[in-house]
Amino acid sequence: MSIIVISYGLLLLIVWGIGIIRYKKLTIPFKVLTWSVLITFLLAILSKIFALRYRNNVPILQLECITGYIFYALTYYYLFKNKIIKKSIIISIVAISIFFVFNALFLQPFQKVFPSNVSVLTQSLYAIFSLLLFKEMLQYPLKLNITKQSIFWYNTAILFYATTMFFIFGFANYYKEHNLYDSIIYYFWYFILYAFHILIGVSLLTDNKEITSTYA
Amino acid sequence: MPDDSIRILVLSAGALFAFITGFIIYFVVLYRNKQAINKQEQEQLQAAFQQELLKTQLEVQEHTLNYISTEIHDNITQVLSFVKLTLASIASKSEGEIKIKINESRELVAQTITDLRDLSKSLSFEHITSLGLVETIEMEVERISKSGLIGVSFIKQGDAYSLGEQRELVLFRIFQETLNNTLKHSGAKHLKIMLQYRSDLLNLTLEDDGLGFSTETLDNKRGSGLKNIENRATLIGGIATIESAPGKGCCVKVVLNPHKPQFYTDGGTHPDRFS
Repeated sequence: MSIIVISYGLLLLIVWGIGIIRYKKLTIPFKVLTWSVLITFLLAILSKIFALRYRNNVPILQLECITGYIFYALTYYYLFKNKIIKKSIIISIVAISIFFVFNALFLQPFQKVFPSNVSVLTQSLYAIFSLLLFKEMLQYPLKLNITKQSIFWYNTAILFYATTMFFIFGFANYYKEHNLYDSIIYYFWYFILYAFHILIGVSLLTDNKEITSTYA
Repeated sequence: MPDDSIRILVLSAGALFAFITGFIIYFVVLYRNKQAINKQEQEQLQAAFQQELLKTQLEVQEHTLNYISTEIHDNITQVLSFVKLTLASIASKSEGEIKIKINESRELVAQTITDLRDLSKSLSFEHITSLGLVETIEMEVERISKSGLIGVSFIKQGDAYSLGEQRELVLFRIFQETLNNTLKHSGAKHLKIMLQYRSDLLNLTLEDDGLGFSTETLDNKRGSGLKNIENRATLIGGIATIESAPGKGCCVKVVLNPHKPQFYTDGGTHPDRFS
């Protein structure tokens, strides 16, 4: 395993550790986020094991795609105040789960193909949720400095992740269609994952139940 | 070809990061502006509330002083004058009559002492703080009932809780203003007052059986009085509704959520969310 992969695993462990150490101080959405980091870590390990042993980690990538959506959407569910958006998020979780099963059975087989259909859909939803949450933040601004608000860091992380993933997908497809391969995509992919989880770590560090209840 | 691809990838990635960073910076600037605007609005609201509170305190004081002045003039001075005349006339009376007159005078002086004691209780609006809203309203109801000007019934439902000194003072002033309107303009024979304490809301209702009025044809003075009631209710986070029609009496209802924090009340100590 390369140093990049090991460092990524360590980063996930550190971010999860931050969440666990500060667990009692965290608000519900960030408690959910803490567990999502652990799941990401476990799936990343499984993914490597599958890749090394079976030369196929697609089933794990399929699982990563759906569990990621459930956890991040659930986090958004707790962060939003607008009841219509909250309901929509719950509906979207059910709809995406059904689509995931359908996609795995009929369109992109669970054991063979990366679920790009589901992924593109979930990344789009992440970007929409993120922009909607930024809008809601402007509607109900807190007195607290924005850099001390966990919601800001989480939302920035998701916006960054969702938009850059689109970019990665686009380029990966282009390279594949033109029978090209360049390791820069691989490094870029890990750079995004690093940046995303560092931002998640910052959000877990800044989140505080007492401060949120005082200012919210 | 791969070199070109790398160049395109790096340039696109750079452009994308620049765009996202630009968006985030724009958002932060926008957010800070919004915070500043809301802070300004909050300060204005707080200043308006403090001004309104001061006005309310002065009005309650003025009302109390008028009441005391009337009581001293119409009741205490009259009774004491009567006692003075009675005592002045006993020199020429027989011993039995003197005893009767002195007993009568003693009873009158005792009544006057009781009246003065009651008056001293209403010397300041601060008794709202010490007695609470319910007892203060009960005292007013008792006073009006004693005066015989109108029949008053007071119903309290639920367990009373405190709304905070400032909110209770404003609510009491709304009560006092409505009561005055009823006494001065309604010609009502009966006034029903209801104070309902529920966990999620507090409801103060004053309903009379007077002449009533059409809210559209009110003169400026009365119209602004009713507007004042609505504004005051809004300031303490409540909603006032005034229902009336000619010949159908008037009903003033104030509903407020006791748990809704008001950042500008109670010393402005609630660092509540803006807007």
